[in-house]
Amino acid sequence: MHRDFSLFIAWTELFKSSVKALNAKKSALKGVHGKAVRKIRTSTHFHIPKTLVLNRAPKYARKSIAHAPRMDQYRVIRQPLNTETAMKKIEEHNTLTFLVDVKSNKNQIKDAVKRLYDVEAAQVNTLIRPDGYKKAFVRLTADVDALDVANKIGFI
Amino acid sequence: MVAVKAHELRNKNKAELVKILDEQKQALANIRVQKVAGGKTQEIGEARKNVARVLTVINQTQREQLRLFYQKKAFTPLDLRVKKTRAMRRALTPFEKSKKTVRELKKLAHFPLRKYAVKA
Repeated sequence: MHRDFSLFIAWTELFKSSVKALNAKKSALKGVHGKAVRKIRTSTHFHIPKTLVLNRAPKYARKSIAHAPRMDQYRVIRQPLNTETAMKKIEEHNTLTFLVDVKSNKNQIKDAVKRLYDVEAAQVNTLIRPDGYKKAFVRLTADVDALDVANKIGFI
Repeated sequence: MVAVKAHELRNKNKAELVKILDEQKQALANIRVQKVAGGKTQEIGEARKNVARVLTVINQTQREQLRLFYQKKAFTPLDLRVKKTRAMRRALTPFEKSKKTVRELKKLAHFPLRKYAVKA
């Protein structure tokens, strides 16, 4: 006597497929990060993980407008010197002597001389006088005569 | 030394003003050189003020234009905002101060300030 297993088999198949469907539904609801996985750590030291770093995208400029350059050539060079030692330097060493702004540096002085008087400086030496002003000795290139330039500037 | 006039400067555009500024600074530098050479020094005051006038006109018109530009925008640069004092900037706005609770509104509605007149 053979039992009719066909119905039983059909029922088990139905049961299996329904279980599968239920599991699929559950994992779909849980999402990709449903299962908690433990990370494998290969080192005993914990280093701060790298996170997203965004660039700045400000909603407004902090300063409405950028300032014009503050240390322009007129601010750097205050006045030329025509003392006796300064005159000596003009004649003998082809250098001009200026009083310059205390906050200016040699590169700025070189640049300012170029812009104002159209001459190249071979070298600039500076010192700060005891009364607080900065003195700059600007040695001109050999192809220019300091005396001519001084006459052109007008302080001889 | 001719004194630069501010009302004349205001008609000019930015490029011209920058050029005039440069000229005035050059003039000031020349006067300083003259001082060293033993020349006239009286004009220095006027030259300095000329430079100041040109700079004032440049900056004033610039800021005015910027304010117009930012008028419709949500966020303005900090230097164009109201300065007042730090505490005042953080205080409640007049609208926020005027807000009343429902309870208070009801009280005001039911018990307003009455005016009486005394018969002579």
